[in-house]
Amino acid sequence: MGTASGIIRALNSGVRHIATKRFTFRYPEQKLKFVGDGYQYDPEAGVGIAGYKGRHILFHDKCTGCQLCSIACEDIAEAIAMPKVEEEWKHNKKAIMPQIDYGKCVFCGLCVDACPFYALYMTNDYELSSFTKEGLIYTPAQLQVKPQVDQDVDIQIDEKGAKHG
Amino acid sequence: MSGQVYPKDTQTLPGLQLEKVDDRIMTLNVGPQHPGSGHMRIILKVDGDYIVHCDPDPGYVHRGEEKMAEYRNYITNIPHLERPVIHDSCNILYPYCLGVEELLGLEVPERAKYLRVIAAELNRCVYTEYWLGIYGIFLGHSTMFMWPVGDRELMIDLLDKMTGARVTHAYFVPGGVRNDVPANFEDVCLRQVNYFEKRLKEYADVFYDNPILISRTKDTGVLSREDAIKLGTTGSVLRASGVDFDIRKKEPYDVYEELDFQTNVLKEGDSYARSKIPWLDMLESCNIIRNALKKMPKSGSVRVKLKPKPKGGDTEVYRRVESGRGALGMHIVSDGKPQPYRIKINVPSFRNLIAMPHLLTGEKLGNLPPVYWSLNYWPVEADR
Repeated sequence: MGTASGIIRALNSGVRHIATKRFTFRYPEQKLKFVGDGYQYDPEAGVGIAGYKGRHILFHDKCTGCQLCSIACEDIAEAIAMPKVEEEWKHNKKAIMPQIDYGKCVFCGLCVDACPFYALYMTNDYELSSFTKEGLIYTPAQLQVKPQVDQDVDIQIDEKGAKHG
Repeated sequence: MSGQVYPKDTQTLPGLQLEKVDDRIMTLNVGPQHPGSGHMRIILKVDGDYIVHCDPDPGYVHRGEEKMAEYRNYITNIPHLERPVIHDSCNILYPYCLGVEELLGLEVPERAKYLRVIAAELNRCVYTEYWLGIYGIFLGHSTMFMWPVGDRELMIDLLDKMTGARVTHAYFVPGGVRNDVPANFEDVCLRQVNYFEKRLKEYADVFYDNPILISRTKDTGVLSREDAIKLGTTGSVLRASGVDFDIRKKEPYDVYEELDFQTNVLKEGDSYARSKIPWLDMLESCNIIRNALKKMPKSGSVRVKLKPKPKGGDTEVYRRVESGRGALGMHIVSDGKPQPYRIKINVPSFRNLIAMPHLLTGEKLGNLPPVYWSLNYWPVEADR
């Protein structure tokens, strides 16, 4: 193959892509859709349920304050502390629940695997930025809130190419 | 000024010796900035435009992964062991999981083996696309930076659906994988892998058959077959020099022996061949993924329960896999405690680094980027 024809083919390949739709999407206005409600774990079956590993959600009516999540995190990120909560639960005599520091969390989800009481899951919420370091520390009360996510963009493939839509 | 005493001859102090200035030879430090991938320095001695001596200086991103692993148990080692190569995190966890399974005597379910192969191949594509993007920008080819980084998104999206994270998946565990794939994953995977393959083939026109790239990389940094073997190089560097050595074929792990695929070997041993092998590997990865999706059991367990510690006394195990860069091995020594006694990661990047002084000596300075990056060298992994 001659040099000239090779260069023309390379240029032509670029020209063919001028008219195609762009593959990227406009992030803050559009958000990528994930599978399910986030990563969960079934301790009875011993396997996880596929989902995005975002911010955690804590079910206060199930958490017994056993500290297994905190122990699991000890060797990984030391992100989970167990502060006292102003709540009275029969199953949580010590009234302690996990508080997660997202400045340290690596989102591996091994704390979810450690929870035997279906109390700690992960959600699709990943927008956790804050102006202060303290703002990254989520108390048990904050972790209880189900995040409002508006994610609807997915990869679509047709003859013309792939795009997010 | 006050009582401090300096030696009379400051030239004897370490670090203060002045280098002898030569009329012709000049020392040139390339780095230690971020030459595309991570921090490393190449100390060159140049005679005009020609490199007469090359001394790679790794170690700027040493994080003590091996030492850290001695204080964590077999499951909490997972998140930090994948940090050396976050783009290829499944493949760096693969030998660890295989080794620990052998130590603990775990039998991995059939479906988990297939899921691992799929995840590892997807991850190889993610890594290689990133590598290719940087190779493009190293050579000033900005289209070849945009395309791979964009198409990489297809594979990242699949891994995200599968594992729940875009990079650093923490998906493999000793005894299987963390979770099963979502319901319609197989269709989505097939569709995106087919489209990905179509896109890969378009790279030929714009990059691999491009006369400008060929003139830039052909016959630069030629590594002969004998030298490649003698230097102990691995992966794409070895296969570009005409040695048919792929761990997936030679020492098949998990279900690789049941899948039919071929290894890509080129004879030239120059930068062009070394840059082409990973691209051919990605095309082969698409075949492997399709093949694995077809043969995978439709249902079944994906994880067996982990035992906390190995039975018996001192044992050791060495397992290796074919990662995006080459043979990646882990030597795990156990003394019967829940923590490993020692983990040694045998990384392909470090083994390929040895070829750099060999290849760059005698080259023109302008050939440094194509030769350096064609070695598929990842500083963060090499320093561990």
